[in-house]
Amino acid sequence: MLEGLYAAASGMGAQQQQFDAISNDLANVDTPGYQSEIVGFHDLLYSNGGYAGNVATGAGSEASVIGRSQTQGAIEQTGRSLDVAIQGNGYIEVRQADGTIGLTRNGALEMNAQGQLTSQGGDLLQPPVTIPKGVDPANVTIAPNGAVSSGGKQFGKIQLVTVPSPDNLTPVGNSMFSANAASGGISSATGATLQQGALDGSNVDMSQAMATMMTAQQSYSMDSSAIQDQDQMLEIANEIKP
Amino acid sequence: MQAEQVQQDQLANDLSNASTPGYKSDTSVQQSFGSMLLANSATGQTIGSLQTGVGLSTPVVNTAAQPLQQTGQPLDFGVQGNGFFAVRTPQGVQYTRDGQFQSNAQGQLVDSNGDQVLSQSGAAITVSSAGTVPASSLGVFNITNVANAGNNLYSGTATGPGTGTVRQGELEGSSVNPETTMVAMITSLRTYQSGENAIQSIDGTMQESAQNVGSIGGG
Repeated sequence: MLEGLYAAASGMGAQQQQFDAISNDLANVDTPGYQSEIVGFHDLLYSNGGYAGNVATGAGSEASVIGRSQTQGAIEQTGRSLDVAIQGNGYIEVRQADGTIGLTRNGALEMNAQGQLTSQGGDLLQPPVTIPKGVDPANVTIAPNGAVSSGGKQFGKIQLVTVPSPDNLTPVGNSMFSANAASGGISSATGATLQQGALDGSNVDMSQAMATMMTAQQSYSMDSSAIQDQDQMLEIANEIKP
Repeated sequence: MQAEQVQQDQLANDLSNASTPGYKSDTSVQQSFGSMLLANSATGQTIGSLQTGVGLSTPVVNTAAQPLQQTGQPLDFGVQGNGFFAVRTPQGVQYTRDGQFQSNAQGQLVDSNGDQVLSQSGAAITVSSAGTVPASSLGVFNITNVANAGNNLYSGTATGPGTGTVRQGELEGSSVNPETTMVAMITSLRTYQSGENAIQSIDGTMQESAQNVGSIGGG
């Protein structure tokens, strides 16, 4: 009896996870390079539940964020020479302030006082690319393969990298991810190219997000009615008196 | 009443899994216990049969294929038609209809629990550097004796390849139908209530006999 109560409650918890992920996605519809979160649902253990015979009842469901959507976001033309959109599966590699390597799909690059290219948050590209003094950043050309040049002179190359399991990258905020044991080591990305003067838009699909949110809300309230039903059954059982 | 309790528990679990991809609802089949033939113990004359109530048999997993939903994710797969994907778990090979897969640190296709997805020949599947896997490399198996093992997995016996085709970028929905499940919950609740009423009226009859049978004649 009480198994059913908890099964329904676990369903509410799982839908809550879905809500949290969608809220985060919706807050990031305009974040360049943002990849929407994927919530995976699964059922829990089945047990006999103390009943006689060969009966099995499930303990409900559970949900967690299992990865990031790998679909390509819409490429937005910005016309800014230091904006690059990543087409295909790849990340720009940067060295973060704490010295560790970060990966990002946000291609809104900036130039610091020393002429070095940085991510939007000010982290140096890895390997570093320096634009010499006197060269106007507006005249810099970034080729699809990442080569940064101006007037036929190449200054360096923006390296695109990837990991075997992008779903397992650790999000560190600021559109930045870091590699770990579960994601596997960083290697250069084959097939990914850069497009200058554009940004890789957030891949959150608004209509999809709204539809998922409505489904989650309905499931949440159905789980809640299941709890009420179970409560009513316990009440009925309590009415049996000598 | 106990039969209805089990049914309520299972229905609550179904509702809880309305969003679980490839979830298959289970139903405990209710069956009557064997009826008893009553006979007069002195003369052996038959009085009639007496039903002893309702019991439950092993739950049946509803394995009917559900509509596939487009997700557009390169590592989402759905089986259109019959058949299960096979995954290698610490408990041996188990089967699933939840094709929400990803790649692990070694570049192999794994399910959301991190278990290797197997090809038709039982080998691990490698994800390409572009992050894709051709749908044809996934194995689809026909399974008998399907039983829920939790975590979207089923145990069972593989009896050769399944007839379904693998579709990339799609996931199978949960087989839970919220409307019928809600109606079944209400029906089950009322059946439970009538069970309770029956107990009370039998209790009433027994009370009557306990109080009054001995007092015949004594007024």
